[in-house]
Amino acid sequence: MSAPAGGAPAAPAGSAPVQEKAGRHREASLYHALNGAGAGNGRSLAQLREAALRTFETSELPVWRRSGFWTTSLSELDLDSLSVPDVEAGKVPGVVTRTLPERPRAGRIVQNAGTVVDLQLDPQLSARGVILCSLEDAFRDHPALVEPWYSKRLTLDRHKLEAANAAMWTGGAFLFVPAGVVVEDPFEIVYAIDGPGVAQYARTLVVGDERSEFRVHEYDLAEDFGASAEDGSPPQQALHAGAFELYLRDGARCRLAQMQDWGGGDVFDVSTRFVGVGRDAHCHWLPALLGGHLVRQHLELAVMEKGGDMAFRGLFFTEQNEHLDVFAVDLHETGPSGGDVHWRGAATGESRASFEGLIQIEPGAQQTHTYLQIHSMMLSPKARLDAIPSVLVSADDVSASHGGTVGELDESAIFYMQTRGLDRPAAVRVIVEGFFEPLIAELSDEPLEELIRAKVAEKLAAAGEDIEAYATSR
Amino acid sequence: MADLEIRDLHVRTEDREILMGVDLDISRGEIHALMGPNGSGKSTLANTLLGHPSYEITEGSITFKGEDITSSEPHERAKAGLFLAFQYPVSIPGVSVANFLRMAINAKREDPIQVKEFRTQLQHAIELLDVDRAFTSRHLNDGFSGGEKKRAEILQMAMLAPDVAILDETDSGLDIDALRTVAEGVQRLHDEQGLGALIITHYQRILHYVKPQFVHILMDGRIVLEGGVELVERLEREGYDQIRQEVGSAGELAV
Repeated sequence: MSAPAGGAPAAPAGSAPVQEKAGRHREASLYHALNGAGAGNGRSLAQLREAALRTFETSELPVWRRSGFWTTSLSELDLDSLSVPDVEAGKVPGVVTRTLPERPRAGRIVQNAGTVVDLQLDPQLSARGVILCSLEDAFRDHPALVEPWYSKRLTLDRHKLEAANAAMWTGGAFLFVPAGVVVEDPFEIVYAIDGPGVAQYARTLVVGDERSEFRVHEYDLAEDFGASAEDGSPPQQALHAGAFELYLRDGARCRLAQMQDWGGGDVFDVSTRFVGVGRDAHCHWLPALLGGHLVRQHLELAVMEKGGDMAFRGLFFTEQNEHLDVFAVDLHETGPSGGDVHWRGAATGESRASFEGLIQIEPGAQQTHTYLQIHSMMLSPKARLDAIPSVLVSADDVSASHGGTVGELDESAIFYMQTRGLDRPAAVRVIVEGFFEPLIAELSDEPLEELIRAKVAEKLAAAGEDIEAYATSR
Repeated sequence: MADLEIRDLHVRTEDREILMGVDLDISRGEIHALMGPNGSGKSTLANTLLGHPSYEITEGSITFKGEDITSSEPHERAKAGLFLAFQYPVSIPGVSVANFLRMAINAKREDPIQVKEFRTQLQHAIELLDVDRAFTSRHLNDGFSGGEKKRAEILQMAMLAPDVAILDETDSGLDIDALRTVAEGVQRLHDEQGLGALIITHYQRILHYVKPQFVHILMDGRIVLEGGVELVERLEREGYDQIRQEVGSAGELAV
């Protein structure tokens, strides 16, 4: 990867904290909300890219650590071996055509590596002022719509890969749904990596104007290029460093879903997503994190104005030697507001899944009611799954609580189903699918539901032996 | 030859021997009652017949329709036509009664059942058991009352149409209306489909609604008395203690 040399350490960006000393093994916990103004704050794109580049140049790869629980380290990532390749315009990677359901859609934008390769938008929606285009084009063609929102809440200097994204993103996706426009079919935003050696800096900005109603489905997909060999040959890696922001203005409603499956290759995914809910607006957000060699997601859903409400869902399934680190934030900046966070995850193989869920209620966010629950299921003796809920409340007239369960396969339920004629793998499948079903059914979108069910079933089938080993080990 | 033949069955769990030589023959079209006090081994027998992994058969055999199934997997026994209605049915969150039934039916078939055929069968079973249609779209046993769980068991039995069903204390914890529905359901499946049943119970009351031809009394891991329905009446009059006293010495001699 080429990057300009030299340069001073990054200047403070907006009100975001400055990291005084970048280091590979900073113990200071990074598990806190973005919490406040982002880097944008009136600065131009060029200024932001320049500031980000300085941070990129002077910082090292980040480490996230929860003492006694987990460490998410990128020391394995060989960033210098990766680059943003030239890809053929108009050529949609096979993994995209194979994976996305055949269905009516409002629009679709597909980015392969660093280039937008496909863009479709229902002309009737276009005529009503809906905009779907690359973020690069949006800066050129619709600056007045983009600039107030770009990096409004996302920072650029928390770590090297966040800075890399802010400095070097290309392509990108921009969706604007004008006031009062209601769209039933989803807008699909697709990021694909179709081989090793790729660095993808993905940047998405979505703005739902007042009283708009729409669905966004993001897909993060990679061709199954296979894990790195252990014979000392150069690693076969790829990187997705993503930054996503979505803002809902007064009374807007959005159902946001994300389906991530990076396949069997060594794909690293370090992404930050921020969803801001305005006055009386509502967002239902469900990321389905279904695979990736090392995935670190900072997911923050914030009620920014009175009357905002959110349903923050999520599911994950890790297998083999995957490492997943999810930090989900349920942030209430003002009240009255409502929140409801519900995650479910399962782990097989020797995978490692860590989930931290934070409820944060700011001073003055009175009359906030929120609940966070995380349920997890262990499917293999060598897998490890940790879930930590935390609550930071700075207002006194609120209700905030959390709950959760850690489970294993219920042998009595398996026997019960066996006596009905299901064999053991089928019974296990019923249990695990039933475990995720309450969340999947909430998508209320049949094609996406079916896709996620099929992905879960595929992973379960692949994990059959581990599950058997677990049963006999108990 | 009976459809289900149990010969000299000895079963133990990790810590103790529970069944000590049980012989029993059950065929299609026959209704048997197995009665006995708590701890006599009734549920052990039920679970063992379906192959529960916690029960170890140390001696004896189970033959079903001429095949030795002593060490078969539970699902193989089910496919062969055995069924167990559980004393404590397990909840399966996330799976509706109807979807579960379809999976179970398809597990027994080569080709999946047609939607229309399934609906017809389900409708018939619903009427037979007097359950609400909405019941079938609820998650199986999840949040069901005791009575609903037992009805769901009988509904599954009606749909899967086994040759021989073992009903493990299906009457426990049921109010009189639920008990009647469940018992009449069993009786009708017997009359209409030729179901063979082993009704395991602690009490006599279910036997007022479903009439057994054969009654077996299990005590301390052995069948100590066998007879017709008159045995139920005798048990009602005399209680288990008196029977135990009478057969106690005979039981010892039989070893």
